Amino acid sequence: MCKKILFKIFLLSVTVVIISFIYNKWFYESDVQKHSDIINLVRDIPNDADIIYIGESSNISFRGDDIDKRPISAFVGDFFPKLNTYDITKPASHAGIYKILLANIPTDNQVKTIIVTLNLRSFNATWIYSNLETPLQKSLVLIKPYPPLFNRFLLSFKGYDIKSESEREQQYKKKWKSDKFKLPYEFQFKNVIEWDYWMANSGIKDSVGNIDYKQTELACHYIKTYGFQIDTTNNPRIEDFNKIIKLAKKRGWNLVFNLLAENTEKAKKLVGDDLIYMINENANILENYFQNRGVRVVNNLNAVEDEQFIDQDWTTEHYAEKGRKTVAKNVSEALKTWHNDFYVEADFSATYQTDFFNNCDNKNVIWGQMHTITTELAYSGKKSSRTGAGNDFSITLEYPLKVIPDSLKQNIAIELMLNQASSNHNAKLVMEAYGTDFRPYWIGLDLKNDIHEVNKWVKYNKNITIPDSIKQADLIKIYIFNPTREKIYIDDFRVVVENR
Amino acid sequence: MLFNTIEYLLFLPIVVITYFLIPHKFRWILLLAASYFFYMSWKVEYLFLIIISTLVGYLSGVLMEKYPDKKSKLLLLIFNLCVNLGLLFFFKYFNFVAENLNLLFDKLEVGRNIPLMNFLLPVGISFYTFQTLSYSIDVYFGRQKAEKHLGYFALYVSFFPQLVAGPIERFSRLAPQLKAKHEFTYDNLSNGLRLILYGLFIKMVIADNLAGIVDKIYANPNNYSSFDILTGIIFYSFQIYSDFYGYSVIAIGSAKIMGVNLMNNFKTPYLAKNIAEFWQRWHISLSTWFRDYLYYPLGGNRVKKNRWAINILIVFVVSGIWHGANWTFLIWGALFGILYILEKIVNSTFNLEKEHKPYSLWHILLSIKTFGIVTLIWVFFRSQSFGEAINIFTLLFSGTGQTAEALTIPGYVWFWLTIFIVTDILLYNKRFDSWLANIPLVGRWVIYGIFIFSIIVHAGVENFPFIYFQF
Repeated sequence: MCKKILFKIFLLSVTVVIISFIYNKWFYESDVQKHSDIINLVRDIPNDADIIYIGESSNISFRGDDIDKRPISAFVGDFFPKLNTYDITKPASHAGIYKILLANIPTDNQVKTIIVTLNLRSFNATWIYSNLETPLQKSLVLIKPYPPLFNRFLLSFKGYDIKSESEREQQYKKKWKSDKFKLPYEFQFKNVIEWDYWMANSGIKDSVGNIDYKQTELACHYIKTYGFQIDTTNNPRIEDFNKIIKLAKKRGWNLVFNLLAENTEKAKKLVGDDLIYMINENANILENYFQNRGVRVVNNLNAVEDEQFIDQDWTTEHYAEKGRKTVAKNVSEALKTWHNDFYVEADFSATYQTDFFNNCDNKNVIWGQMHTITTELAYSGKKSSRTGAGNDFSITLEYPLKVIPDSLKQNIAIELMLNQASSNHNAKLVMEAYGTDFRPYWIGLDLKNDIHEVNKWVKYNKNITIPDSIKQADLIKIYIFNPTREKIYIDDFRVVVENR
Repeated sequence: MLFNTIEYLLFLPIVVITYFLIPHKFRWILLLAASYFFYMSWKVEYLFLIIISTLVGYLSGVLMEKYPDKKSKLLLLIFNLCVNLGLLFFFKYFNFVAENLNLLFDKLEVGRNIPLMNFLLPVGISFYTFQTLSYSIDVYFGRQKAEKHLGYFALYVSFFPQLVAGPIERFSRLAPQLKAKHEFTYDNLSNGLRLILYGLFIKMVIADNLAGIVDKIYANPNNYSSFDILTGIIFYSFQIYSDFYGYSVIAIGSAKIMGVNLMNNFKTPYLAKNIAEFWQRWHISLSTWFRDYLYYPLGGNRVKKNRWAINILIVFVVSGIWHGANWTFLIWGALFGILYILEKIVNSTFNLEKEHKPYSLWHILLSIKTFGIVTLIWVFFRSQSFGEAINIFTLLFSGTGQTAEALTIPGYVWFWLTIFIVTDILLYNKRFDSWLANIPLVGRWVIYGIFIFSIIVHAGVENFPFIYFQF
């Protein structure tokens, strides 16, 4: 019987080797593109990179009225114009994701310095046990450092951190309960649940003494987000960052941890000093812990003022232009340690811009509706913006028109490349404007009056005279609106504000 | 712990190897511990329910033998039924009944509101309570001697391969096998592994790939053309079959390695020539359970025609409700009951109940007819509400042919579905392990290779738990 079993094990091994060969040759890459296209973020980094900035949505978030909507990483690049600065940005990600992405940077890449986003909130239970964790972990399986067939086996047999929403909820609620506060002074609440319960019941009062439910809910959210104390021995994020440090040492990278700014002003206003104590304590723990391990930590915790936080009714690290520039400046100061010879004072004095161009490939051009960008078709480069069949709006130029001097804005010239599968749609080129002193403005021009060709890239031009009434608009938006099921692809979208 | 996870692929060999390494007298302890561990991987607290069901079943059995007078036995049986069906009612049907009563109270403006319970349905509760009940009823009627060994009885209730979704085994069939001393044999190992391989193929490659497509269509049916809706309905027929059949085959294979033969739960049901035959081939362990413990006690077919028809309807409606606390399941069961009766009447009136040679033209045509009927009835099973099912039918028969969303079905899904259908046709009245044993070594290994390839490379990657776990 033993002989028989050994023979079958041999046959099984041969079968697996053959399957592995077939999989590697014909299936692996398409699987990677289907299930782990996150790898393209790394593959897009050229070999001549000097600095790589890795982070989540804080890098690319912007406010409509930002004059310069570029990401933090691009602002860092402004301080080192002679160095090649690139970014790897994956919304909702954290050190557990960064470590795998960084490990995938080819060893022949010249990169010298890595800037890693250190987000305080990513150490709390809600983020560690977030619902987003399952799809994120799934997207990493195929790019783990094992043979491709084994990775696919792990994916098929759910060999990753896979949990249902209710299981995740149970996990963080359990953590809220079990993590007891240890403060150097008397604190009336044992854990975050008690604190949150107290806030929900006592509430925040408005000027006339009534409970302001919206503010109360926000205060509760601040408590649940920041009401924790980092335990460096057990917090899984610490372990993730330690692995990044280990990898950086192995690859000879300079390492900067960019501790992001939190809205401490709002935290103090809504909840008070106890929460601020915990936020500061956590930031200090992280700063000391990683600096002791040879990492340059940039502490931005209090660097951004309340007004610069885009999301005023939630806790995020999404900053408006000034906030992003502040963080970039602080990071760049730290980079002088290794790149002092290349440092220049960035010129952030430009007050307005009149020529806007988005070819859907340049990561530093940030418009609205960037999620519509696809590799399905492209006029130039590899990407375009897809509208229709669920995407009602194309990539959208958002700009505060009022910052451009009146004498320079008589007309808006719009030019874009367009590819439609059929003309069975009522898609429009839309310009809208908002402002404090006038009623919202909206104009829609039917595309099918001008474009008749199908399945072909066609140039579309339009000139719109700017009505005097909207010249002081806080925000204008220009985009293709296509609420139909017909797909229309847009590429090389240019908008020029002109004086003619 | 799902069968199609790494955890189970590690758990099963550990249990099997330990099982054959330790002396026979300790094996029940190992299997019981493994079964409880397996169950606790869902929710530790719900182990308590299995223990209650086990203790009540065990004690009532022992006491029925100790106090054999009719009255005491009846009281013990009623007690047992109350506890087991009570557990089932509380966890499975309480919210359904409360919701409907609340609706009724609203209509009558009674001003009452029954609070709803907030808990997850314990996995497999419908299966192990029915298993316990069958034992107690058999002891009551003297068809089964009471089990004195609590450990073996507990193992009968909780044997892990069939704990959460069957097959629902009878004590007389399973317990002696659990008590018997099994030697490790090459045949059991290879047959068991063949079944597990085939079960994983039909669950992971067929059911899980179809599930994603079906879910998409049922989530937004209005976005799809009639043809897409029809595709979704047919795919669901194959999804539910391959999902449940896959589970059963893996369960049978897992037990087989340890020398335990579980009953076949499916025998190519979509090749059935009529509804009656379909139910002899689909979820056989449940059909026979209802036959033995509900249909026969109601009088079976040894009653007048009208009464027989009512008996049939009762069995099918109860079977529908067993599947889930929703009106759609009740309608699903009732429709099967009505069609069963109509078909019997038509067949006997026109003398249509003839035997047809397997794979003959008549067999094929009748199978297609049965498959078509069953497929349409599955719409009620899949829909979340009666309204949703009606909407699906409306779109199916009056759709415009336009789609708001393109339904893309990858080529490999069609390919593997075809392989599955062909294999299923070849397996008519046969089981995969014995069918495969007759194929020469090279052919067999080509088939293994194809299935291993499909499982690793083309398994669905979304997490779709086995459909029958929710029942």
